[in-house]
Amino acid sequence: MAETITLQKKARGERPQYFADPAIDKALSITLALAGEVAVLRDRIDTIERLAEAGQSPTRAAVDAYVPDAAVRAARDAWRDSYLDTVLRIIHQEREELEQRAADTKPYAAVIDEVEAGG
Amino acid sequence: MQTNQDLSTQFRHGVLPQTTSDEFSRQEFVKSLKFHLASKVSLGNQDAFEARAKPAFTKTTGAEPETYADIRRAMSDDPYYRFWSAMQRNSQEMMWKSVQIPVERQLPELIAKAGEAGGKGTLKLNPELEIPRYHRGVDIHCMPGGYHTEFTADDVANGAVYDSAVYIYAMGRMGPLNSDIGDTTIAWIKENHPDFKPRRILDMGCSVGHSTLSYCDAWPEAEIFAIDVGAPVLRYAHARAESMGKSVHFSQQNAEATDFEDGTFDLIVSHILVHETSNAAMRNIMRECNRLLTPGGLAVHAETPPYRDLPAYDAFMLDWDTRNNNEPYWGASHELVTADIAAECGFDPAKSFEAYQPSAFEATERRTKVFQGGDFGGGGAWWLWGVQK
Ligand SMILES: C[S@@+](CC[C@H](N)C(=O)[O-])C[C@H]1O[C@@H](n2cnc3c(N)ncnc32)[C@H](O)[C@@H]1O
Repeated sequence: MAETITLQKKARGERPQYFADPAIDKALSITLALAGEVAVLRDRIDTIERLAEAGQSPTRAAVDAYVPDAAVRAARDAWRDSYLDTVLRIIHQEREELEQRAADTKPYAAVIDEVEAGG
Repeated sequence: MQTNQDLSTQFRHGVLPQTTSDEFSRQEFVKSLKFHLASKVSLGNQDAFEARAKPAFTKTTGAEPETYADIRRAMSDDPYYRFWSAMQRNSQEMMWKSVQIPVERQLPELIAKAGEAGGKGTLKLNPELEIPRYHRGVDIHCMPGGYHTEFTADDVANGAVYDSAVYIYAMGRMGPLNSDIGDTTIAWIKENHPDFKPRRILDMGCSVGHSTLSYCDAWPEAEIFAIDVGAPVLRYAHARAESMGKSVHFSQQNAEATDFEDGTFDLIVSHILVHETSNAAMRNIMRECNRLLTPGGLAVHAETPPYRDLPAYDAFMLDWDTRNNNEPYWGASHELVTADIAAECGFDPAKSFEAYQPSAFEATERRTKVFQGGDFGGGGAWWLWGVQK
């Protein structure tokens, strides 16, 4: 290809800072990007395995050109969801704890109402 | 050449950027991350609110948080909310990155293809058009360069970027053509005005034509016009429409002041345009609708629900984009009252309407059924507002 046209990488506008130390914002961005690249690699391995199972040789060209069908996409969606359960464990843990605490803030009378209402 | 085609993947029209398997996997990861955040992580914010932010707010202010603005104040420093927000913002930025990679790689080919697009419809650009201030300040929803920036001559980059990204953003829940908002608006019009036969239709803020093309099929006899301020999205929209055999007249115009004659259209629609304008601009747009409509004609705008229709907590979550996703008019646009706007813009307020219409595209299994930041298209319905002239 003759020319490379570079697109703008940053959206204009001040980026919100979510943590007291801006280095944490950056570290989180890098961690999530890495999680994405691991998922990309995992799909690539999956592709190699599937090509091999189908008796095709998993050359780079064959892997790059592989287009997953609906069933393979669904299987990969399911894999990524449990992968994210694992990667984001600390978040899910906190969520579970908050869920218990939120339930505890409910007055006992509200629990009676809920049960009586059939919930 | 990618040819796999079914309802759970984006339709491969003639100018959709091609992806290598790695590029596609990277985009699929972003889609999964977004869905994981919307369906499994976001819910924890409500628990954080009940368990700690609400009691703390009540203790310091002496009153429980009531409005969505109260809830925002209560939640702004909550660590769970902040971490979720940070991940949500990253998912958005990762989405743009994941679609820019293939677009950058094949941009010259995309530009060449767009240049060869056939002539069922037309494309009229206006390099002199002033890009509205509300698009120059920040890049809306964090898309680098917005809808209008041109990175090279005859550029289509951000049309291609937007087309690929919307499919990921909506997690496929707007259908293979990203057309759910248009299809849903059409369904509402047909159900509520069964005898309506528009001869000329205008789609304002058409972008790459995701909603526009549905009107070609809904009223095959009608002439379809579509306008936008961004040249790259319009070039791409034209090429996309031509590759799908649809006839649309695209032109680069500001919906606040167009060059069409009075009374040109029986139907004027917009789909998620209004929240990307401003208080002044949206009123100008409604006045322009008034000028352009024939008597009895309809103006219909599709958006997400106004905050008054939602529980305060849900409104707070839907409002996330205002401060976290470069959507400066999102919040204020969710406070608009249709009858007031109609009256201000010269319409009869008694002929204004607000309605909910269930999503036309059936994607029930992946819908969260809530309206919340980062979960676009998950609610399973669109809010329609407008007026009959
Ligand atoms: C979210 S996109 C629209 C999506 C599209 N209507 C659909 O249904 O998929 C908003 C579009 O409105 C355009 N826009 C914003 N303000 C405008 C104005 N004043 N006149 C015309 N177009 C405008 C933007 O350039 C952008 O392409």
